Amino acid sequence: MLAYIARRLAQLVLVLVGVSLITFIIMFVVPGDPAALLAGKNATPEKVAQIRQNLGLDEPLYVQYGKFMGRLLRGDFGTSYQTGQPVSEMIRENAPNTIQLAVAAVLIELIGIPLGIYSALRQYTFWDTTLTTGALLIWGTPVFVLALLMQYVFGLKLGLLPISGSGGETFLWIIPADLENLEALILPAVTLGIIEVAYISYMQRASMLEVIRADYIRTARAKGVAERRVVLKHGLKNALIPVITIAGIDLGALMGGAILTETVFSRPGIGLMIYQAIGARDMPVVVGGVLFATFFYVLANLVVDLTYAYLDPRIRLEEG
Amino acid sequence: MTDDLIGTQEPGGQESIEPMAGGPAMIVGRQPLGLWSDVWRRLRRNKLAVVGLGIIIVFVTVGIAESVSTAAGFNLAPYDPNAVNYELSPEGLGSPPSWSHPFGTDYLGRDIFSRVLVATRISMLVGVIAVAIALAIGLVLGPIAGYYGGAVDSVIMRTADIFFAFPYILFVLLLVTVLGGGFINVFVAIGLLSWAVYARLNRGSVLSVRRMEFVEAARAQGATDLRIIFRHVLPNTMAPVYVAIAMGVGGAISTEAALSFLGIGIQPPDASWGKMISDYLSYMAAGRWWMELFPALALVITVFGFISFGNGLRDATDPKLKE
Repeated sequence: MLAYIARRLAQLVLVLVGVSLITFIIMFVVPGDPAALLAGKNATPEKVAQIRQNLGLDEPLYVQYGKFMGRLLRGDFGTSYQTGQPVSEMIRENAPNTIQLAVAAVLIELIGIPLGIYSALRQYTFWDTTLTTGALLIWGTPVFVLALLMQYVFGLKLGLLPISGSGGETFLWIIPADLENLEALILPAVTLGIIEVAYISYMQRASMLEVIRADYIRTARAKGVAERRVVLKHGLKNALIPVITIAGIDLGALMGGAILTETVFSRPGIGLMIYQAIGARDMPVVVGGVLFATFFYVLANLVVDLTYAYLDPRIRLEEG
Repeated sequence: MTDDLIGTQEPGGQESIEPMAGGPAMIVGRQPLGLWSDVWRRLRRNKLAVVGLGIIIVFVTVGIAESVSTAAGFNLAPYDPNAVNYELSPEGLGSPPSWSHPFGTDYLGRDIFSRVLVATRISMLVGVIAVAIALAIGLVLGPIAGYYGGAVDSVIMRTADIFFAFPYILFVLLLVTVLGGGFINVFVAIGLLSWAVYARLNRGSVLSVRRMEFVEAARAQGATDLRIIFRHVLPNTMAPVYVAIAMGVGGAISTEAALSFLGIGIQPPDASWGKMISDYLSYMAAGRWWMELFPALALVITVFGFISFGNGLRDATDPKLKE
């Protein structure tokens, strides 16, 4: 197990370095010149050159990347070209909002598990068809379309919930401590979560269908084990494993979805921060934000994989 | 890990194949047909998958008909999708659906039905071309990684890991910002970034068949590695790839819409469902629902079609779900 953890940690570092390199390269072929952008329209060429020098943009690429990685290892993400604010500070300000959104979405996502099991046990009945059709329809709805629909129905038509922003107080960074914070969270979290509910319930259904056809289930039934116990003890335990993996991999999609959700709901967070920084060619903010998002995703995946390896010893032996 | 593959080809090659000659010939002759007719039989029973297939056929047909009619010099759409007509847009708020304009008109008096119709072609093109690019990369790298193993495998699959770890929409956003909008760039960006799925799928499948007898037999007959990979191994591992293609086309259409919605995808005056949704957004509050509803419906139905068909195909090709 220790060897497995070590190998996975090494992989994690490799992935992060790769992502930082790719992001860095992509941002560097951006046609717009950040120095010119910062200096404004009426700046003299000397001023632009001065700014370029201050930012270290006149040095060769690999020197810039080397310096950048060196600073990164010391926890320094650089400063925003636009505001001069340290990127690490911006991430600290925005992260709780995004993490709050992601955690809330994951909690909502869990509803998909019982729904999927119910569907599988009642295969081809009216409720199974309804649930499965609904799941596929929602799964097929792009997150921004769903976000707009939520805004329209619950914000504009019913006037129940705020359709943008965030605010209020939190407890332990992410737990809503007052109504204002909770209200601002509901629509974005439900938007993001409900798509995952659809996905998870579909996968849970498929996984459960596969398991209840397995020989050991037939054996359990033949032994006279109560149906309830067959489903919950013998079936569910095995049917959950692939779903847990899918849920973990899905966190990446969640991070992507958070960007669109935050943009539609103008909700401050890492997603909105990155989106605005891309438009302004604010490279340090983009790279920092992307690295943060990736780190979170890779870490979540690692935890899922370790749990999985713990549950199923074949995994840690296989990838030798 | 790299075992000497070439060394095994000489001794006893003929001998081990000869006794089976009757068997494999029969299986090879029958199995492809048998497999797919079985898949079709199971797929047909899944109503959602059939609905999905129907949706795909309708939208693809519309897309093709639209392209052909444009090339032939006449318009399939009843009106010019970009023709501005202020008479049809009193107070600059468009006019609701009517017999002559079934989906209504927008704030410039443009016919929404024609715009939705024309945008179908762009969505279909994005789906098909982006997935084709991803597939071309993945179908080359995945089997190579799986077949050779060792260092080649490590380099390719660790690169795939990096592409997997990157929040997908962010990556596309970055790349399109760099390349600039416009539909060619959107195709390329989505395609370049989704190859890892196909590579991983194919690698896994190749790993599972590379030790099977028919590969061994091909090798014994002196087939080259390339020939073995692309003639013998790949065709036997395609089922999960077809599923991924169906899902991938749906995903690409959805991603293009998201990019266009954010204003960095398809550029005006080209119509795109995502672009229309973002253009007409501010008219929702004024109760002009038809501008928003029809492009959104077209988008959701199309993506649903591909996902629904893809899922059905997965169930139909999954041996574990056989009764």
